[in-house]
Amino acid sequence: MAVSSRRLQKELTEIKTAGTPCGITLLKADDFQTWFLSLEVLGESQYKGEVFALMFRFDPQYPISAPAVQFVVDDKYKAPLHPHVYSNGHICASILGGEWSPVLSVIAVCITLQSMLASCKEKKRPPDNDRYVAHAPDNPKKTRFVYHESDSAAAP
Amino acid sequence: MHKQALLPSSGQLESLETTIFIWLLTTMKVVVKNWHAIAQWKWDTGNNDADEGDVEGDVCGICRVPYEGCCPTCKMPGDDCPLIWGECSHVFHMHCLLKWIGTAASKQQCPMDRRPWVTAERKVDPS
Repeated sequence: MAVSSRRLQKELTEIKTAGTPCGITLLKADDFQTWFLSLEVLGESQYKGEVFALMFRFDPQYPISAPAVQFVVDDKYKAPLHPHVYSNGHICASILGGEWSPVLSVIAVCITLQSMLASCKEKKRPPDNDRYVAHAPDNPKKTRFVYHESDSAAAP
Repeated sequence: MHKQALLPSSGQLESLETTIFIWLLTTMKVVVKNWHAIAQWKWDTGNNDADEGDVEGDVCGICRVPYEGCCPTCKMPGDDCPLIWGECSHVFHMHCLLKWIGTAASKQQCPMDRRPWVTAERKVDPS
């Protein structure tokens, strides 16, 4: 059994016994490679009434290596309009790249992204959205994001 | 090395339960032919005051397995899968922490507080 499976089984058991925080719901976790969770910001925010879906992809070294996390973009879900979220669902967030720590978890990532949306002042795409999306790799972990306080910039 | 045996003290043996148990044995005319003493061990993390209610504190933050269990790559808990202490006071299974520190992404930082990881000599509480 891969190291990632054991850790994810523990996270799954905790989600099923203790539940998920408000606004976060487990949609699908049929294996230990890909999970889907829904995310919404409760209370007053720029995203009132909007529901998003997150896709987590794990490699066998999780949690030593960070999960690949992105917003789902399909017929049902759209990526939130946010200065750190590209229209293909890729997210520029430091904890998903250089600031990942193996003590973080799926739920911890969801909470961070929820508060990233909650604190948004202006709904807009990253300034380099079109350029990034045209050349973006399938897996956002292959992107070297440059982290800024406000705006995003990616170097695929 | 850092293990602490939890054997009952003589004071605990003379507890009320023991007295009642002996009384039951004598009134029921049961004869004890033999008995086994069982010992258990626990890593001495210096955090024994918080052993009630603080369940989260007793697992390795990386693999989420209790300290007394072993890291996901080991089969036998105990001296073969020891703990490691940082000078920042955070504790992990040694194998879990070394796997993290061995990656470039770790920047050799403690996973809990992102301070540079410095392995501490375990300071044994004299009390």
